[in-house]
This record gives sequence, structure tokens and C-alpha cells, in this order.
Amino acid sequence: MLERESTAGGTFLDRALLNPIEDTNRTFYYVVGALLLLFLVAVGMYAHQIWFGLGVTGMNQPMTWGFYIVNFVFFIGISHAGTLISAILRLSMAEWRRPITRMAEVITAIVLAIGGLHPIIDLGRPDRVMNVFTAGRLQSPLLWDVVSISAYFTASTVYLYIPLIPDIALLRDRGAKPQWLYAFLAWGWQGTPHQHKVLDRAINILMVMVIPIAVSVHTVISYIFSMTLQPGWHSTIFGPYFVVGAIFSGIGALLVVMIVFRKVFHFEAYLKEIHFAYLGNLLLLMSLLWFYFTFSEYLTGFFGHEPFEMKVFWYKFVGPYAPYFWAMVACNFFIPVVLLTFKKHHTIPKVLVSAIAVIIGMWLERLIIIVPTLANTHLADPVGIYIPSLVEWGLFLGGIVAFVLGFVLFSKFFPLISVWEIQEGRERSVKDVTERLQRYLPVHQQHA
Amino acid sequence: MTRWGMVIDLDKCTGCGACIIACKEENNVPYVSADEAGQGRALSWMTIVSEVVGEYPNVRGKYVPRLCMHCDNPPCTKVCPVRATYLSDEGIVAQIYPRCIGCRYCMAACPYTVKVFNWYEPEWTEGMDRVHNPDVSLRTKGVVEKCTFCHHRLQKAREKVRLEGRDFVDGEYTTACADVCPTKAIMFGNLEDPNSQVSHLARSTRAFRLLEDLGTEPKVYYLAEGEKNA
Amino acid sequence: MNQKLILALQIASLGAIWILVTFVGIWILNLLQLSNDLRDVPDATLAISIIAVPVFVTIAGVLTYVFVGLQKGKRST
Repeated sequence: MLERESTAGGTFLDRALLNPIEDTNRTFYYVVGALLLLFLVAVGMYAHQIWFGLGVTGMNQPMTWGFYIVNFVFFIGISHAGTLISAILRLSMAEWRRPITRMAEVITAIVLAIGGLHPIIDLGRPDRVMNVFTAGRLQSPLLWDVVSISAYFTASTVYLYIPLIPDIALLRDRGAKPQWLYAFLAWGWQGTPHQHKVLDRAINILMVMVIPIAVSVHTVISYIFSMTLQPGWHSTIFGPYFVVGAIFSGIGALLVVMIVFRKVFHFEAYLKEIHFAYLGNLLLLMSLLWFYFTFSEYLTGFFGHEPFEMKVFWYKFVGPYAPYFWAMVACNFFIPVVLLTFKKHHTIPKVLVSAIAVIIGMWLERLIIIVPTLANTHLADPVGIYIPSLVEWGLFLGGIVAFVLGFVLFSKFFPLISVWEIQEGRERSVKDVTERLQRYLPVHQQHA
Repeated sequence: MTRWGMVIDLDKCTGCGACIIACKEENNVPYVSADEAGQGRALSWMTIVSEVVGEYPNVRGKYVPRLCMHCDNPPCTKVCPVRATYLSDEGIVAQIYPRCIGCRYCMAACPYTVKVFNWYEPEWTEGMDRVHNPDVSLRTKGVVEKCTFCHHRLQKAREKVRLEGRDFVDGEYTTACADVCPTKAIMFGNLEDPNSQVSHLARSTRAFRLLEDLGTEPKVYYLAEGEKNA
Repeated sequence: MNQKLILALQIASLGAIWILVTFVGIWILNLLQLSNDLRDVPDATLAISIIAVPVFVTIAGVLTYVFVGLQKGKRST
């Protein structure tokens, strides 16, 4: 076993990664202040909603759900960026994962907390939310959500924390303030071989565990809709469809975050074009998968031509939601496929544009799944109209602000790129990968 | 065995809307402003779905009074996370207002869209706020409500029946909408009692239920139009 | 820095995780009992609990394993 203690002694090459923590500039405080202000506005809007009731939103009968549920599904979807991608990359021993995993995991933890709050924002009586614990019924898909989201949140927080320990210890040893916080969080890490063994084993257990939990989360969210009898929702494909969409939007969010913070903190040496090219390929693959699922979903509905199903279908394809529907198809399929297929030159701008398109497109997808089904009731009611109110827009913005704020604050206290994993890569990867490669190759060539 | 149910004769219904008003007064259903009602926030446990049938010039209006169907296989009670709505032993789909957390999942799951939500703190016009029905609890903002088959009337009737030590007489327990209907288009009673009016009518060839193929087994039967003209 | 205080805090936070897991366990048991009392769908509830509870236990277990492992792996100075 290689002794890996170069963290404390020796030349420290990764100073750039600690810059945001050790050399915080004034802009940081301005940004945090501005974000806090915006966040407080959103909190005020929520207080307004609690005081007057859900009437301050644009929801009505039959449009019983609106932005809050759309954003709930959207944010939880984004959270799949993280843990799932990082776990899959770790599991498949993709060496290029090293500068990416941390950011992915941070996205998950923060967005999950925000997304998980959305159903509570949506409640008419948030003061009674404890009824879910004291009088909950596990047969309701909403309770499945409560269970799986809390499991996912716990697992992904732990999965963020454990690979963070060596970096926290590094900051502790470099005297980062507040000292007690880093000493407390470092759990006595000294980088001994035994400690490394324990850490590696824990990460291995977690990454295997986190994948089924992540899949279950978005499957269960889709079940909220597919367990009802409503046209456009009652579909067996919804579980995997939502999971694919979640990973898709998650990679989009991850790419945007990577490109932004690469620029802001000058991580160009760590996040290279190749990382974006590889993740771009993954995004392209998910785009094709998304198209496949969407196509299957709508073709089945169209071919059967069941009247209620068709009401929703036409509402989306040529009716009032057609602009959103076709914008979604463009954002989720045409833009990323064209840009990502030909990304040899200007890789990063092309990846950025497609990632943003995908995020918008996936948000539209959630909107298109939820609203048209509610608008077109089974009976001969007038078609429902949903116009989100200022409060709903405000809380949407508040959710995004909370995400950015959380991310910025994290960057102040912890490195956004795993220092020890980069070091480990530098010290061991070349040897490991060479050895691994030799094991793939036919034996006789070695003697040649 | 008791299974309370309703039969609505569409041949007799004139679409007058008396049932809507009677229900509102009986059950302390809050009023909303015309503005809010226009936004789809009207609170009404009973509505009349009106439809224009046919092609011009052979058109006619069709009125279907719609209330909670009190399904035997209710899609709404299955999804409630806190059991604020459930199917009672006598077949009434009940709401527990003090337990409802206002997630509105039951509204989204109901194929008949008969559930309504208190978007604001309930309000009544001047004067009407002093004449609430004392038998029906008032709701707060943020909870879901709907038709209960005038459950408070059942409680009263049951008490009387128990004291006198006998069985329910057909028509002894009836809902406000059935009471008030000027053409007696709405009939209410025990579907399990073979001699009751509703069980006779529910077995007639004209009887049908809304969205029967969803398998929700509603207990509100309709008698198809056209019998009188045939 | 007070090393002992920090160690005590670390152990306390680990204890908090186990309290959380216990709370989840009690909560799910409560729901199980409730679904039985209300004649809801106890078997589905049981199935969900059988999956959910071990997940939380494993997460807390991994954390404990890491903490104990890191303490054992310290250099003796």
C-alpha cells in the first residue's frame, strides 16, 4: 500500500483549489448579501401566502396543482445530477470523474433540501405537516415520497460528507478558521493507510447503495401522478421516464455549475475541455433516451385514441400548450443533439448552451405533464386555466436563489473540487490505469 | 346492510339550480366573490354540468347535476396521505377537516372533479354569517371539502331510529338537494334495501353512472334522458 | 483547542444520527400499526417498511464504521 501522506508535507500543488476559502475576496460578500436579500423577499412572499391562504397563487379548481409541484419535481430531478452521476462514475472507475464528483454531490444535497420543501410550500395547512408523521398512511404515494426523499437526503448528505473528510482535515491542518469547526468535522483524519482503507470501503458501500435510492426517488415521484386515473398521468412508463428525465436535467445543471465556477474560481487547470466533452456525450445520450421515452409515451396515447387521452394530447400538441410543448422538444432534443454531435470546436460554449436548453426544457416537461392533465377534466367542464401569480414566480426565484446561495456558501467553507482525490489521481492513477489496461489486453502481446 | 346512494332522473331535471343553493345553505359552504368565482375558485359541493348536445340547428341543452359520487372504489381516499378522507362503512366518502393538510392530492386524483378547496379564509355575506347550520362544522382556509351526502342528517336520523328501536324508513334520511328539488329529479336512499325507491330506479334500464369504465363504482346513478319522448 | 470537547461533540453528533434512525423506525412502526388499525393496506405498508428501515440503519452504520475506523487508524503519538 502506498503511503499517502503528502498532504501535510511536501510541495502543495493544489493551492488554487483552496483560494475561494483562504483568499475570499469582497465580491463574495456582495454576492452573498444580494442573494440573501432576494431570499428574504421570497420568504416574505411565503409569509404572505401563509397569512392569506393559497388564494394568492394562480391555482384553482380544477388546476389544483401548479408551480410548486412542477418545481418540486424539477428540483428533485436536478438532484439526480449529483449523487447518481458521481456514484456511476466512481463505480465505473472513470478516472476523469475526480474534479467533478464533489460539485455533483453538493448540487444533490442542496437541491434536494430545496425540492423537498416544495410540497410543504404547497400545503394549505403547513401547520399540520406533522400529521404525516403521526397519522400518515404509507399506502399514499405522497408518503412513499416522504420516505424515499428523506432516505435519499440522508444518504446523499453522508455521501457528500465522507469523501470530504480528508479535505476538511487538510483545511484544519492549514489553520482554516473557524478551527473548531474543521477539527470537529475532520473526525480525527490523519491520512494513515488504515484510515484510507476505512474511507475507501465506506465510499464503496455508499456509492452502491445510493444508486437504487436515487432511482427509487424519482420513480416514486412519478408514481404520484401515474397512480391516479387521470389521462396523461396514468401510464406505466412514468417511473423510468421520470428517472431518465431527472438524470438528464441533473447533468445539465451539473454542467452549468461546472462552467460557471470554473470561470469564477479559475479552475481551468482542473476542469478541462475533455471533462466537458465527456459529460457532453453523456448529455447527448440522455437526450436521445429522453426522446425515445417521450415518443413511446405519446405514440401509445395517440394510437389508442382514447377520447380523454386525446383531449390532453391535442391540448399539448396543437392547443394552448403547444408553444411550450414544441419549445420543450426543441430544448430537450433538437438543440442538444445538434450542438453535442458537432462539438469538436468551441466545446464549452456548445455544452453550456445545450445544458441551459436542457434545464429549461426539462422544467417545461414537468409543466407539460402536470398542467394539461388537470386542465382537461373527464366531464364536460370548461377547460381549466392556470396563470401563475407573482407569489409563485417569487418562490420559484427563491428556490433558485437558495440553490445558488447554498452553493456559494459551501464554496466558502469547503473545496469545490476534491483536493485529495486530485492528489490521489496524480500519485496513483497513471500506474493503476496502466496496470488495469494491461489486464484488458490479450496476454500474448505482453511477451511480444 | 346499508349503502347510501342517489338517483338523479335527467328527464326531470330542469337545470334550475335549486339543489346548488340548498346544498350551500345546508352545509355552510362559503361564498366567494364573482371575481374569484371567475378564476375557478367557486365553492360548490353540487354543480350542474351543462352541455350543448348536437349540431346546429338540432341542438339542445343537457344538464347533469354533479356531486361527489361516493364511489365504492374511491380514487381520492387511496391517495390521501393522512386519512383525512375515507370510505365509511355505509358507503359515504367522508372528509375530516381538522386532519386535512391541504395537499390537494385527492382533488387531483378525483376523475369527477367534485372536490373544492378553501383558497382563502371562508367568508359569507353580511347577515348570512349569522345563520349557519349548527349541525355542520365550519371549515378553515387551506382544507379540502366536498359533498358528504348531508352526513349530519344521517346522524340525526340514526339517533331517532335507534331510540325508537326500528329500521330506517325509506326517505327518512335524505339530502338537502333531494329535499328541495322542485321536480323530484333527485332521489336518495339505501341502495341495499330492495324495496327502496333508489334501488328500484338504480336497477332500471335507464340507469347509468358517470365514467363507469374507470371502475370507481359510483353510488350516484343517473336515469338517461329520452324516456318521456320515446 | 479542547480535544476532549471536540471528541465529545463528535460522539454526540454520531449519537444524533442514531436517534434520527430510531425516530424513523418508531415513525414507520407507528404507521404500520395505524394502517392495521384503520384496515388500510398493512401488507403494502409492511413491504415499504422492510425496505426503508434497513436503508437508514445502513447509512448510520456506515457513518459509525467510518468514525470508529478513523479513530482506530490514528497514529499513536
